[in-house]
Amino acid sequence: MSEASFSTSRRRLLGGATALGAGLAMPAILRAQEPAKPAELIVRAWGGVWVDSLKKGVSDPFTARTGIAIRHDLTEDNEIKPRIWAAVAQGRTPPIHVNWDTTANATSSALRGVCEDLSDLPNLAKVLPLAKPIGLTGVPIVNLYSYVYVLAYRPEAFPGGPPTSWNVLLEPRFKGRIALYNDGIGFHPVAQVVGGGKVSDIPGNMEACWAFIRKLKEQKPLLGEDPDFTNWFQKGEIDVACTISSNAREAKAKGVNVAWTVPKEGAKVDTDGMWIPKGLPANELYWAKRYIDFALSTEAQQVWLDGLGLPGVAPGLKPPADLVGDPSYPTTEKDYERLILIPPKIQAEHTAEWFARFKEIMQS
Amino acid sequence: MAIRGGRPAARAGRPPATAYRLSWRILDALEAVAARWPARAEGAVKWLLLAPALAVVGLLVFGLVVMADASLRVMDFRTYQLGEDHSTANYVRLFGWGAFHATLWRSLLATLLVTLFCLLLAFPYAYALTRTASARLRRVLLVGLFLPFFVGQVVRAYGWLVILGQQGLVNQALGLVGLGPYRLLFSYPTVLFGLVQYMLPFAVLMLAPALAAIPEEIERAAASCGASHPRTLLRVVLPMARPGLIAAALVVATLTLTDFAMPAILGGGTNDFLANLVHDQFFRTSNAGLGSAIALVLTLLGTTVAALLLAAAGVGALGVRGAR
Repeated sequence: MSEASFSTSRRRLLGGATALGAGLAMPAILRAQEPAKPAELIVRAWGGVWVDSLKKGVSDPFTARTGIAIRHDLTEDNEIKPRIWAAVAQGRTPPIHVNWDTTANATSSALRGVCEDLSDLPNLAKVLPLAKPIGLTGVPIVNLYSYVYVLAYRPEAFPGGPPTSWNVLLEPRFKGRIALYNDGIGFHPVAQVVGGGKVSDIPGNMEACWAFIRKLKEQKPLLGEDPDFTNWFQKGEIDVACTISSNAREAKAKGVNVAWTVPKEGAKVDTDGMWIPKGLPANELYWAKRYIDFALSTEAQQVWLDGLGLPGVAPGLKPPADLVGDPSYPTTEKDYERLILIPPKIQAEHTAEWFARFKEIMQS
Repeated sequence: MAIRGGRPAARAGRPPATAYRLSWRILDALEAVAARWPARAEGAVKWLLLAPALAVVGLLVFGLVVMADASLRVMDFRTYQLGEDHSTANYVRLFGWGAFHATLWRSLLATLLVTLFCLLLAFPYAYALTRTASARLRRVLLVGLFLPFFVGQVVRAYGWLVILGQQGLVNQALGLVGLGPYRLLFSYPTVLFGLVQYMLPFAVLMLAPALAAIPEEIERAAASCGASHPRTLLRVVLPMARPGLIAAALVVATLTLTDFAMPAILGGGTNDFLANLVHDQFFRTSNAGLGSAIALVLTLLGTTVAALLLAAAGVGALGVRGAR
């Protein structure tokens, strides 16, 4: 070995050793640079299977890694929103650190400008493009999974096989035994199609939608929220409903004989996300971002979304065994062709108007 | 008389420190302060005593002013901020909105019906409570009156879901004789039923003192003059119980008009009252402008209902001194 080559090797060795040492020391250095950990983070969540799955898949593992306790606040997403808005407007610390929210509802907060920018989350580069909201400046919300408003039904009511069209909701035998969300959410685009209109006409011309909902009103539907659907199926109050597949799956898990389908007219697909309200102290903001970043990881999503039966934005997720090939668990482009997506910004800008029309029909 | 453990007060002139209670010392101090109160300022005492209540009312008025301001601003759904300009657009929209008309009439009709039913049911209960000679029956009636207050409105509404559901107790009982199941929930009559059940104790509570204040001798005097018991009730007791009836009607009517939980839980989403509409605007569509407009209309309606009741009966019916 020549002196020169030895010298080079020695330099390489020394350089390598330095790099190795630095590499080994890096986590400790990074940890030293991390801001102070808060004792807890408050994460708003929905109750029932929703919070149970979040706890198991995201919150508990996050606590195990960081030592930061997670408190789940089960205030409804619509009800926490004005409190956050008021806190931001008055320069107070917001009541929660992370808001788990529907993307449409979260978009209204983003439009108001009360969301922190999340574009620096490391895992955002590794997930599906669906994670980034469309039509908004920056990344005020991170979408975490999609879900489908399916036609859920009691198989005993359909001895001839699953319903194939949303028109079954108008069958006289189901009068008083159908259910929708109490703001009509999840049903408008479907009603537009079944009523003879086009999805592309939303929001400009939705008369077909309102005409169908007027017919549906004659069927005396029950109007409720997520827990109501599970409860109504359990108590035998309804035979068919337009609801998120997770609610039907939860009822099934509780021993209720419920099935679901995506009828030929399609079904509405939507996303849920997380966002952080402005006004948090810097260290709490940092850890709230770490929480959402962890929620984006494949490791967290696999456990969390198995519980919900929903397809996440992390790559390489395996569907739960009972949902392989299920139309409510879209994974391919072909699966999505059957589903109707209304951009959240359009939803946020027209929610009040659609709600007013829906109420006018249902309350009259 | 000697103070226990101390010297006789008369001889000592001033009781020993150990025997003079702290509460007495405080009262002495207050009296000393009161003695220094200038005689000319005596009129201010009543205002000082009223100050806390006036502060609370002032806060309410301030809240109403803020809401009145919001009700005159239109929400811009591109930014979710209330506009800067003032207009009556929210009110114009409100009075042209079918859902508001339906909800308004439903709320008013419920107010009327629930108040009537509650008065009809509360009167015999309160009468029995105040007139029974049996201590045991009185205890049972008192327990029946106060027990519901320990169970919140939401819990009671959920209780009815269990009792009246498709698989509830009533349908199970009907099933034993080969009937049903029937849909007993999620209708307007169910909401009214839940409200009557909830409001009845309030009505009894307001009515009982009025009936207790009517001397039984008056009823005996009517009987001795030949009046039958029903006639005595109708012509003597009922008119004399008017303060209690008016107070009960006031409480039940205003609580019913502004109720939220019963229509929300027992109405199945299609039997909303005005309070539900206010909640929807604030929390579902984030439209604070329209929500404030509905809230102000509701406040105005509540005030009008109370004013009409008092106008019909006269403020004197409540036993307010000096009122006619």
